[in-house]
Parts: sequence; structure tokens; C-alpha cells
Amino acid sequence: MTDEELIEELAGAHRTSADDVRFHPAFYDLDEAGRLEAHRRALVLRQLEAAVDPDGRSTTVHAVLARIRDAGG
Amino acid sequence: MTDLDHHVLNIMMGDADAFGAWLSDGAEYALRRALTRYATSVDVEAVLQEALLRVWQVAPRFEPDGKPNSLLRFAHTVARNLALSEARRHAPALRLQGRGAPPSGEEVPIEPALPDPHLRAALERCREKLPEAPRVAFDARLAAGGHESDGSIAERLGLRKNTLLKRFGRARALLLACLEKAGVSIQEELA
Repeated sequence: MTDEELIEELAGAHRTSADDVRFHPAFYDLDEAGRLEAHRRALVLRQLEAAVDPDGRSTTVHAVLARIRDAGG
Repeated sequence: MTDLDHHVLNIMMGDADAFGAWLSDGAEYALRRALTRYATSVDVEAVLQEALLRVWQVAPRFEPDGKPNSLLRFAHTVARNLALSEARRHAPALRLQGRGAPPSGEEVPIEPALPDPHLRAALERCREKLPEAPRVAFDARLAAGGHESDGSIAERLGLRKNTLLKRFGRARALLLACLEKAGVSIQEELA
């Protein structure tokens, strides 16, 4: 994959569910500039996602709430 | 300043929807932005999601301090400490790759930021103008809501993963250009 595709993937909200923090594999394949660009892109994307979601929730909010509900919370 | 603490009582009582509303009303953006200084040392998305789960787990025992945004300030402390811990844990591997030491835990101010009130309507108009292939990629990734990997979404659409990501990136770029043309601003200033 190209750096551009790795950045796009890292900027997404999907992360492996685990009891600890699991970094996305794309994080390790990018240099500092690529990681910072993925972060900047995520800041923008989450606003777009929330704006098109009927409940105003970004994909991060959906992912966190799903993990809470999966855990019985 | 916007105070998000009106959600706190319901969150303490175990209302997950209230937690979602607290995040959507500005807490998520504020926390993500506050983690900018760690973005080269840790996977901010992974740290943020784990920090939010930890905040949720201790919320029933949370004691507001009477000042605005008490839960946001508490969540910021949790997220920052987790980011520092993860940065230190990954530091040896990152140094081997020729990258710098983890950043210090210096405090930064945090407060929620509200989106442009015209964003939702303008974005809907811009989305309708997207060519089909980028729109399908954009919609599929959003519908997955962070539950499904890009590889799985691509497979479901009969695409290669890099094709999905390229089309999604094109959709994002077209939407931002359209919003800019419509005079709607997106907050993208890094902390």
C-alpha cells in the first residue's frame, strides 16, 4: 500500500477490540509526517461523519458505544 | 464557554446514550485535538477509544468539582496519561526506527468546540453531488461505524482494499472542496 492509503486507513475509526491498547498496523508503517497527517485527517473526518449521522455521532462514538454495549454496559 | 456537564448525572447513572451525546456535543473533538502532541508517538484513535472506555467504567464513581466541564477535564487527564504511558511503552521501538523521544505530559487547556451550524445541510448537498464510486465508498465506511475493518468493507463491496481507500479519499477531498465553496468551515486546527 502507498503512504496515502496507509494514512487513510489510520485515519479511520476501526480498531481491534482488546483489553489493552492495540495500535493500527498502519501506524508502524508510517513516518512522523504520515502519522500527523492521519491525525489531522481524523479530526476533519469525525466532524463530517457526525454531520451526516442521524444522531450526530462520529464513527469513533459508534465504535466506543458498541464496545460499551458488548461489554454489557 | 460551552459546559457539557449537564450530561454527567445521566452518564453516572449508566446511560450510554448520554455518554454518546456528551461525546457528540464536543468532548470527542476536544479530546482528540488535545492529543495532537502525541500523534507521532501513539495511535491517537486507539488511545482515545481506550481512554473513553476507562472514563465510562469509572463514571459511576465520578465526583464533579463544581467547575464547568469537570468530566471533560477528567477524561483529558485519563487520555493524556494513557497517551504518555503508551508513548513510553513504544519509545524503544520508535527510537530503533530513528524517531524521537515521547513528548512530555505538559498540561494544555481543553474546552469543547461546536461545529459550524450550517455544516449538516451543506454536507448533505455536497454528498448528493459526489460521483457514484466515491459516494459508495464514503457511505460504506460510515455505515460500518468503526465496527468493520477496511479489508472487510472492501471485500463486501467486491473491491480491493487500496481501491476502497482511494475512493474514500477522493470522496473526502471532493466534500471538503464543496464545503469550502459553500463557505462552510471545518475545524482542522491542531492543538
